[in-house]
Amino acid sequence: MNALRARLGARVRARLQADPNIARIHRKQALVAVLTRRLHIIKIALFLVGYLWMAAIPSPRLGRGTYIDENALGPGQVNTYWNWGDVANADRYLEQLEGLRDANATSEERANFLMTEFLKLGIPASTQNYVFTSSAGNVQGTNAYAVLSSPRTSGTEAMVISASWISRTGEGDGTLNLRGVSTVLALANFLKKYSLWAKDLVFVISDNYVDGMQAWLSAYHGATQSNLQADELELASGVIWTALNIDYPGHSFSHLGIFHEGINGRLPNQDLLNSFQQISKWTGGVSVLVYDHQDSSQTDIPSWIPSGFHEEIQAYTYRSKNVVRHLGYQARGRGSGVHGLFHQFRIDAFTMFGLPATGPHGFHAIGRIVESTLRTTNNLLERLHASFFFYILTTPERFLKIGSFLPSAVLISVAMMFGGLRIWSDCAWIPDLSDKKEAGQDKWIQRSRPVIPVLGIMLSTHILGAVLFSAITTTWFINNQTLASTLILTVVSTIPLSALLAPSQDASRAAPISQLLKALNLCFASTVISIITVVNFSLAMSLAILLGIPLSVSSPSKILPIRLGKFATYTGLALGWIFASEELRKALWDWEILGVWFAPFVCIVYTPLVLQAGLVCLLPL
Amino acid sequence: MRKSRFLWALCLPAACLSQSFSGETFNEELAIRALPDGKVASRFEFSTLLHGASPRNPRNLSSEDDSQHYTLFPLALGQILRQYAVTELHLTLNAGKWNYDRWGYPDEPDVATGASMWTWMAEGSPVPRHSVDARWRDLRNALAGLFCASLASLDEQRTTSPVLAFVPQGALPAWPQTEPHALRHASLPSEHVCTENLTPFLKLLPCKSRAGLARLLNPHRLLDADWHGMGLHVSWLPEEGVRVRLTFQSVTDPLRAGNTRDWSLSSLFDRKIEAACPVAASSRVVVALPTDESYSIRPEPSFVGQGRGIFDLAAQPLPLDVGLHWPTAFQYATLPTAQSPLSVRRTLHGSSQDHSTLAVSIKNAGPAAVRVAYLETLPWIVHLYLHTLELSVDGVPRADLLRDLSYTAPVPHGRAAALEAVLELPPNSTVSLRLGVGRAFLQYGEHPPDAQRGWELPAAVVVVLPEHPGNDSQRRVYTSALLVDPATPDFSMPYNVIIFSCSLVAFIFGSVFNGLTRRFIVVAAREPGLQAE
Repeated sequence: MNALRARLGARVRARLQADPNIARIHRKQALVAVLTRRLHIIKIALFLVGYLWMAAIPSPRLGRGTYIDENALGPGQVNTYWNWGDVANADRYLEQLEGLRDANATSEERANFLMTEFLKLGIPASTQNYVFTSSAGNVQGTNAYAVLSSPRTSGTEAMVISASWISRTGEGDGTLNLRGVSTVLALANFLKKYSLWAKDLVFVISDNYVDGMQAWLSAYHGATQSNLQADELELASGVIWTALNIDYPGHSFSHLGIFHEGINGRLPNQDLLNSFQQISKWTGGVSVLVYDHQDSSQTDIPSWIPSGFHEEIQAYTYRSKNVVRHLGYQARGRGSGVHGLFHQFRIDAFTMFGLPATGPHGFHAIGRIVESTLRTTNNLLERLHASFFFYILTTPERFLKIGSFLPSAVLISVAMMFGGLRIWSDCAWIPDLSDKKEAGQDKWIQRSRPVIPVLGIMLSTHILGAVLFSAITTTWFINNQTLASTLILTVVSTIPLSALLAPSQDASRAAPISQLLKALNLCFASTVISIITVVNFSLAMSLAILLGIPLSVSSPSKILPIRLGKFATYTGLALGWIFASEELRKALWDWEILGVWFAPFVCIVYTPLVLQAGLVCLLPL
Repeated sequence: MRKSRFLWALCLPAACLSQSFSGETFNEELAIRALPDGKVASRFEFSTLLHGASPRNPRNLSSEDDSQHYTLFPLALGQILRQYAVTELHLTLNAGKWNYDRWGYPDEPDVATGASMWTWMAEGSPVPRHSVDARWRDLRNALAGLFCASLASLDEQRTTSPVLAFVPQGALPAWPQTEPHALRHASLPSEHVCTENLTPFLKLLPCKSRAGLARLLNPHRLLDADWHGMGLHVSWLPEEGVRVRLTFQSVTDPLRAGNTRDWSLSSLFDRKIEAACPVAASSRVVVALPTDESYSIRPEPSFVGQGRGIFDLAAQPLPLDVGLHWPTAFQYATLPTAQSPLSVRRTLHGSSQDHSTLAVSIKNAGPAAVRVAYLETLPWIVHLYLHTLELSVDGVPRADLLRDLSYTAPVPHGRAAALEAVLELPPNSTVSLRLGVGRAFLQYGEHPPDAQRGWELPAAVVVVLPEHPGNDSQRRVYTSALLVDPATPDFSMPYNVIIFSCSLVAFIFGSVFNGLTRRFIVVAAREPGLQAE
């Protein structure tokens, strides 16, 4: 007891005597020491929480119900007038379109037919020819469009109702969207009878799957694309606010699916989707799905799980399907349909996809839903709210706000940054192993950290990535894909092997290159991930999964086979995609025709980052 | 007094026969023509002539004006014209976009979307409030009150004085010791035209909307038309006097509801002419008769000639309900045919918030070269980069087509920009003009208080210049208005914005302040463990 009192007294006395500044410095040092000592655990905890959070995104316990933020929209508040007479019109258009299909009409014949039909309705219409040149060959077609100037409006604002000739079924596998096109024609006939439109109505029937709309939108906005030759549009209207894309490939449909992801990870304003969902449910009586798969309740749940959890597991399975599809579209920057092209011009757009079924819905339901949705978007007086562009729809009626998913990737990135900074600061010191060591105390000596060669190595991997990208965009690569892939993989994986020739350095003077490279590699990867989170969360999340652990565990070794083995693993992670030939071809097509930057991003950012980790293993300790 | 006025009113029909009220004449005319696309264009014209009158000389603004006694001439308007010594005045309030390609030229050329106003006024005495600009401001405010329109917004930031596009319709008096007349022009495309503008318009008519052709001005039908616009035109004709023309044009679509293009007064306006305006010197309905189709018109016109059927209200049995019927069904033309020799398309390209391209294409379908003046008036929030001006025909650069160019640069927060270019249009060709446009970054107080959808740019005007100077028949073609969207903060969440910016400022200030005021000294810090011993 006395001893304790004495120690406490000594401590208090010492504190009183001490300079308060020194005390503060000591406090700081103590805090840093506690954190650094436990940094490893903090890092692991951050990784763990981040990955668990990602896994929890589809959970029904996360997220909230959808709501309409913009009160002016007033979805589903109007009487609809679309009726059976209009359905009969749509049927008649369908017959003619089927005739065109059976006659194997060319793009130009089709577009001329559509233009004539619009003109017969008294709506100014025109066609547009376009040719895209790409390494995979030319893509050409003819769009037809019509501009209905609304009464008493100045023509400064417009809404688009569009349908592509080829449906989005199987990502444009060639299924025709005949019913979607006839819906647009019948709607044109119907909508012109009303004087209540506050914005011009633009009807676009784009050729093929996505390329037709890309050509039309580029011409409409005067955007130049070096590989596109398109006619100028003869008819113009004003600023397009919203676009509804109708995709109705089957005979009838049971549900309407929302497809909303745009190219390069852009999303439309959620108010538009929520309004459509409400209108479809209450005005049209059609249930809405996110994408085109239903909630299948036949999931096999192992019997050992208590039955109380079955419902939750089923909900989780269904939602995770939606989330995975969302991630797939958004991370690859691939739009989930024709609507995806609108977002780059600040136009809110989505595709309503009639899920093919034997019933019960058809033209009557879709016409009413489109009419009511147009009335809703017609009410719009200003841009939709800026905060409604970040969301993940887990079901049509539930979504995650940005705050409930963004931190997951940020946590991983923070963990990587901590790891990188730790290595960086460790590199500056080396324990003094000389004989002058005092007993019981480590002595550390400072050493230099040569950054320039490390940055040189990083830069050269990125240049290698750029060369790789220019190689795979050549016509030669597309034509001899199997051979070229092997060749490119060999070349790209051989060049870093030159790191084996790097001489071993005196570790007491300068930090080893491999450690510095790992530090900078981790910091850079972490920065990339945290920046990408707000641009394209799905891509950031994929990067966090692919880079988080692998980059943190890279380490050099003294044994050559282990070094080579590790490097081979990293090369596989960096370049394995080159053998996914179909996926690669699509990504390149998206880049060349639509300007999706996923392919160059992978080549110039992702692959070099992983190669750097591979180099860490190759470089001498 | 009241009794005598009543007695006098009883004498009105008698006075009407003399067709003149102490030097004032009122004429009204309704012209109706079917447009090629099945729509029906109608134009009301109410014209009052003040015989022998002349505009007020602004030099005499300081002295007492002659007393004004009007019988038919609208007093409210007359007072304004005298008060501000306006020689010529044109005010139009239109809704919709006139489609020159399908409808041809309008009967009244001023069809710019929204409110548009131009006047010719002479410089007054040296008193500042008698200057042209001061009177222009006061005139706008006075007319804004008279017509319940936002004409007061046509301020200095929208006012320009183009040289070529707006020549006076009447004559400009040459007063001694007075500087020549000056033009002021302004337009506000986002002005919405509705009943509150039509009611004061009707009040300026001698018979209001109770009798005569004005009986047909039924707001429920007119304001549902595809296009409608009202106009006020004051001009001075030296031989006759001061003339005020009140016009109302509309384009109605009989095919919107049904599938026949037959029309009648009761189908277009939901009213018939039940009584003639007793003070009108002439009152007639002029119907353009189809030339190459069979038709039937009823009742029988009083006079048919030059492809027109004329109904004189004095000679027709009332109520009058003119109607035109086609026995054949209507088919829309499937081949696009332009109804006017000039076709102008103006668009704003580019989706970025700070820079875009103004693309104008002017198509001359005629067989002869035409010289036109292209007038662009822009509020200062957009500015043109003149060095980017490109002229081309079918992709071939043709800088030689630009004959003359004058540009008034905008003054931020002060003055509008005006670009006036004289272009030569080769026959059967489309000239395309491209200009880079920059957008200003607005201060937060300069954003309009209403819903944020961007700023509307007024219509550009293409004027066909007469081949021989002196021939003053001008053809004006107005383009559609454009919407430009400058960078706009999210006004709906000022709280978040304030929090973010305040945190940032506090952080920066704190670090800088700390760095500046802290004294750095070297302290000998020992290991904390050692100290405790």
